Amino acid sequence: MLKHKIGTRKEIVTNGDIAIHVSDLHKSFKLPTEKAFGLKQAFFNRLRGIKGFKEQKVLNGLNFDIKKGEFIGIVGRNGSGKSTLLKTLAGIYYPQKGEIIIDGNLIPFIELGVGFNPELTGRENVYLNGAMLGFSNKEINDMYEKIWDFAELKDFQDQKLKNYSSGMQVRLAFSIAIRARGDILLLDEVLAVGDAAFQQKCNDYFASLKGKQTVILVTHSMENVVKFCNRAILIEDGKIKHDGNPKKIAEAYRKLWN
Amino acid sequence: MDIPKVFNKKNRILLAELTKTDFKLRYQGSVLGYLWALLRPLMMFAILYMVFAKLLKFGNDIPHYPVYLLCGTTMWSFFTECTSQGIQAIVVRGDLIRKISFPKYIVVVSATLTAVINMLINLVVVIIFALINGVEPSWTWLLVPLSLLELYILSLGISFLLGAINVRYRDITSIWDVIIQALFYAVPIIYPISMVASSSIVAAKVLLLNPIAQAIQDIRHNLITPETITTWNYVDNSFLQILPIILIIIVMILAALYFRKKSKFFAEEI
Repeated sequence: MLKHKIGTRKEIVTNGDIAIHVSDLHKSFKLPTEKAFGLKQAFFNRLRGIKGFKEQKVLNGLNFDIKKGEFIGIVGRNGSGKSTLLKTLAGIYYPQKGEIIIDGNLIPFIELGVGFNPELTGRENVYLNGAMLGFSNKEINDMYEKIWDFAELKDFQDQKLKNYSSGMQVRLAFSIAIRARGDILLLDEVLAVGDAAFQQKCNDYFASLKGKQTVILVTHSMENVVKFCNRAILIEDGKIKHDGNPKKIAEAYRKLWN
Repeated sequence: MDIPKVFNKKNRILLAELTKTDFKLRYQGSVLGYLWALLRPLMMFAILYMVFAKLLKFGNDIPHYPVYLLCGTTMWSFFTECTSQGIQAIVVRGDLIRKISFPKYIVVVSATLTAVINMLINLVVVIIFALINGVEPSWTWLLVPLSLLELYILSLGISFLLGAINVRYRDITSIWDVIIQALFYAVPIIYPISMVASSSIVAAKVLLLNPIAQAIQDIRHNLITPETITTWNYVDNSFLQILPIILIIIVMILAALYFRKKSKFFAEEI
């Protein structure tokens, strides 16, 4: 299907001090040019010698190492490849070329509340979403009270999720997510949830992670980059443009539009 | 794919929770709820029984014909439910596949497990009806799970293969609906195979080479009446006798190879 030799993504456990090693990482997507969803169109495209897709390069040879315990921010414009990088690190996308080596247990939060179903009650959704994060029923039982305490939604646990406001849903999802215990956390734009009081709670949680865990945070908020990260990477057109001190990266990010 | 990883704790939890959710959601908001798992096939059976056994007088030569018919329709519903849920599973669970990393076969298996649960409930009903109808329990009942497993493996193979193609070409769902309709008449469920044999023995033998027909006839033979015509007692060439099983193995191998190759790219193609 792909012309290139396919890249690799390995998960290992060692005592080394590198949490994630990425070398020469490439990823491109095939974007259908004409509506190619359908046998008829695929057949006609082949007859006319149209490939039916064009290749869109998203990651163009990334190289970096992340040390254990680093809180690293990944920034860049929309479409620069941040989310694709995160999804490739998480194992959702397959690298086309290059190598990813992950040392330790990696927990991705590409989105909060994966698998949430509006027709189920809050309680049922906690178990369902928990399963997505790898928690057994017993493990959820043990942390059940804490989840609802943190979310401040105790009175709603037996209501169907469709009767929750969107803010309430995110709060519940966030409360489950922070229970996940891994060596490496991947976070995609999940900082800004809920009202001011809840945000304060979230900020406290992230501050508590700093120095203890490897965290990779994709965000557009330079304020958060400076506040939480001890290193940042600026991505432009699928390549690393700057890598280093969060303050300098925040500066460089603002300059992208000037 | 190494076996311990396939059944590791995380994957088992996910499989169990997805299956539970599928089953729960299926009958959400209906007054009779889970009862529909029983009522739907029973009503189907009532219709077919009125039309084919009473009106058209099929199956007068088969003992316990009503249960024989019920057994056939139950197994057929299992096959259709299993495959149609299985084929759609990857597209239906697209949101999960795009957001977390897990072995993709889990969504297919969980979708088909709901059909397995429904089938097992219905099998209990078949057995109760059989006993009421005067069928004597026999040691051959112990062979029934083998045929059920065979039917399930075939359904899984079809689900993996067509489900993976369906990600790119959504036409598969519609095509499969038509194939299911055609297969329904090609498998001796509502008509006894002896009816076909009376006009063409070759045609009857060919119909029995279909793995679905072979499995269903075996179940009827072992559960309802030993007078059932099966592939084993009707087709005399021993290679042809095992042909249905060879077909299933081929489907399974193709499915496994294709699914493994394509599943890496489901997240970006859905």
